Order: sequence, then structure tokens, then C-alpha cells
Amino acid sequence: MISLLTADQKEKYTEFRDFIKTNVEPCASKWDQNQEMPGEFIKLLGNSGYLGGNIPTEFGGKGWDLVTFGLLNEAVGRGISSLTDLFTIQAMVSMTLLKWGTKEQKDKWLPSLAKGDVIGAFALTEPNVGSAIQNLETKFTKQGDKYILSGRKRWISYGEKADLFLIFGKDENKSVAALITKGTPGLEISPLKNMMGFRAAHMAQLTFHDIEIPEINIVGKPGFALSHVAPIGLHYGRISTSCSALGLLRACFEESIVYAASRKIGNKFVGEEGMIRSLIAKMGTDLQAASLLCYTACKAEDEHTPDVYEKVQMAKYFTSKAVVKAASDAVQIRGASGCHESSPVARYYRDSKIMEVIEGTTQIHEKMLGKTFVDRANKLKKEK
Amino acid sequence: MNTEAIQPTRETIRSFILESINIPDLNDDDNLFETGIVNSLFAIQLMTFLEKSFSIEVTMDDLSMDNFQSVNATSLFVERKQNN
Repeated sequence: MISLLTADQKEKYTEFRDFIKTNVEPCASKWDQNQEMPGEFIKLLGNSGYLGGNIPTEFGGKGWDLVTFGLLNEAVGRGISSLTDLFTIQAMVSMTLLKWGTKEQKDKWLPSLAKGDVIGAFALTEPNVGSAIQNLETKFTKQGDKYILSGRKRWISYGEKADLFLIFGKDENKSVAALITKGTPGLEISPLKNMMGFRAAHMAQLTFHDIEIPEINIVGKPGFALSHVAPIGLHYGRISTSCSALGLLRACFEESIVYAASRKIGNKFVGEEGMIRSLIAKMGTDLQAASLLCYTACKAEDEHTPDVYEKVQMAKYFTSKAVVKAASDAVQIRGASGCHESSPVARYYRDSKIMEVIEGTTQIHEKMLGKTFVDRANKLKKEK
Repeated sequence: MNTEAIQPTRETIRSFILESINIPDLNDDDNLFETGIVNSLFAIQLMTFLEKSFSIEVTMDDLSMDNFQSVNATSLFVERKQNN
């Protein structure tokens, strides 16, 4: 895949890998065990400009193409998945505002999001609503020139650390999206600890106790929050997650080949065993296939082609499934040492499963992609 | 607006929808969203198609079902955007 990148993109990838090797990999295990992404490190990310990589320069971002954004997510995902989740939600909030925000909302929030002075959170999932977002129970009730927000959100990445929340709910039959800030009266943030994976992603539950929201905080227009506003955020979330899963897959592969080439069983290296070679062959092939799917999807976004959404779904679907298999095999190759937290593959195993759940489960992607492909029969039927 | 003038736009949009959705035919005034012909993913696919094919940008101010509810409505919206 690297051969298909431009010189600038290759250079950025090297920069990202060096940054992660120096600043993240030595601490990844500790952050995971402590369930904490240190504030000083988030500040460092802000200073580097990485949190606003895909925000246009006119709003203080770097204005990268999506392939470069994908490369950053892959490099970070190679280090620790909990951190990529920060890039995921920052992109989800930023890019949604860029597309659907008012001029005032963009001018106010995008520069701060780009610098990392403001951390965003994308609050869609609820205790009773995951994939079926049409059934949201969070309520926006119109009262004069403001809305009253009530309800709960759960499994909100970086909810504990966020400064700006993009909340989705309904006003009777109309879907609504709105911004609220940390410290808003009536906003209760409850950290959710002891997740299986993504343990340093500061997951939280949000409870809204009749929060007053002025109309100027509405994003997009009422009635379009689920059809047009949320899908933009979810789309960028899937791009980020796909490339993050790709980084994790690369980590599994690299750990496995190094182990297989170094560890001996009797007089033979582990990698000399046919069964181990078989596992590694599958992992390496999946890595290459996932890489092509991920960067084809990023390139489609850069070219703004209408099929970008299915390309991103395919990348997310394939890569998240492949990484679960790869992480499981990475543990298998290492044996008992892979089952202990002293080895990074134990963390890879826990984190990998989350990839299949967030930003649309594997089953949801199968349902949507299956429909997309069958619908295309129309054209073929006419050609016959 | 002269509806004959938007015929090529209408054809382009109708073809895109018929190539994307498994329905035998589509009348230019059929309501795409109320009849359940399309889902929410298609809404943004259609938006991206319009932006790419007609060199327009759909913004927050354009979020009105009147602009996207049918082939005819979408064609008229595209023409308006191009003439602005």
C-alpha cells in the first residue's frame, strides 16, 4: 500500500510512526491499565496539530486529505486503540460541524477543536438504543425560542473528558442535534470504568436533567439530525475506526512475526512450524487486503465520490473482523505469555473486539451492504 | 422555472436513483422518503452525488424536504443552486 501513497503522505506516515513510537508506545500499557489518557498528553497532541488534521486551514486545522488522516489513525492504532478513539470522536464532531454548522458555530468551535483546546463527544447511543437510532428516547421539547433536553446517553467515548457534546434526540417525530458544553446546568457526567477494551477512552454516561438549549445551538435543522447530520459524523467515525483497526492489525502481525522468528520450541523456531506459518500467512494477507480497502475508502472521500459510503462500510466491516481474528491468533502464537498483560497482544485481543462493535456492528454493516449490493441488480437486469 | 430546461438534470438524477435502488421505475414526482424507497444512508449518498455531479455544495440552509423529496424537486433545487 505504501507504494501507492504520494511523497507527502509517505513523509507524514513516517512522522506519525515516529511520534507514536516515542510518545505513545512506551506508555500504552500503563495508560490502558490505569484507564487514563493523561491530560498533558492530550495537550501535546493539540500542540502537534494532529487533533485538527482534517479541519481546513481557514479554521486553524492542517487541512490534510483523508488519506493522510487515515495514515495518522493507522499509526496511532498501532500504538493504542484508546487514543485513536479520541481522533475518532474529534473528527466526528468537527466534520459534522464543518458540514452542517452555522457560520457562528464553525467560527466559534472549529479553531478550538483543531488546537485540541476543546475535546468533542458525539452523543448518539443510549441505554436502550444502539443501532436502531430512529428509536432515540432523548427528548428535545420546544419552549418558545429554546429547547428543553432530557434523557440519557451511554457508551460515549471521551465523555468524561469532553468539553463540547453533540447530542442527538427527538422533538416528537423530528430528529434534533444540538451542542452543549461541559458545565451546563443539568448535565450529569458519569464515568464508565472497567470496559473490556479501549480502557483509556474515558467512556461515560450522560444524563440530561431538563437542560435549556438556545436555538442557536441546534446543528443542521430539526427533522434532519438522523438523515443528514448524524450520518456525516458516523461516516468519519467509520473511516477513523477502520484505519485504527488497520493499525491494530499491523501491530498483531508485527508482534507475531517477530515472536515466530525469535522464540524456539526445542531446536526449531516457532515460525518454522507449518501451523504457525498458516496463521501468519492469513494475518499478513488480511493486513494487505484491509490496507487496500481502507485507503481506497479514504481516497474515495478525497475524490468525493457517491460510493464512498459503501467503500468506508466495507473497509470498516472487513478490517474490524480481520483484526479480531488476527488478535486471537497473535495470542495463540504466543501461547501462555500472550494471555498475560505483560505482553501487548493481551491488550490487542481486548481492544480488537471493540472494533467490531463501534460505529456500526458487523451485523449492521452486513445488513446495509447486502441491501446496497442487491439494489444494484436493477442496472444489471436492464442490461440483460 | 422552465421544466423542459431541467430535463438533462432530471435524467441524470433519475438514472442515479434507479441504479442505486432496486425499484422497477420511478415517477418524477414520487416522494422518495415518505414511500420508504430510500434509507438515510441513501440521503447522503444522493447529496454527495449532487455535489459531485453538478459542482454544488449542499449546506445547512438547503436542508428542506422540499429540495429532495422527488426527482423533480431535486432537479429544481440543483438548477437553483447552479444559478445562484
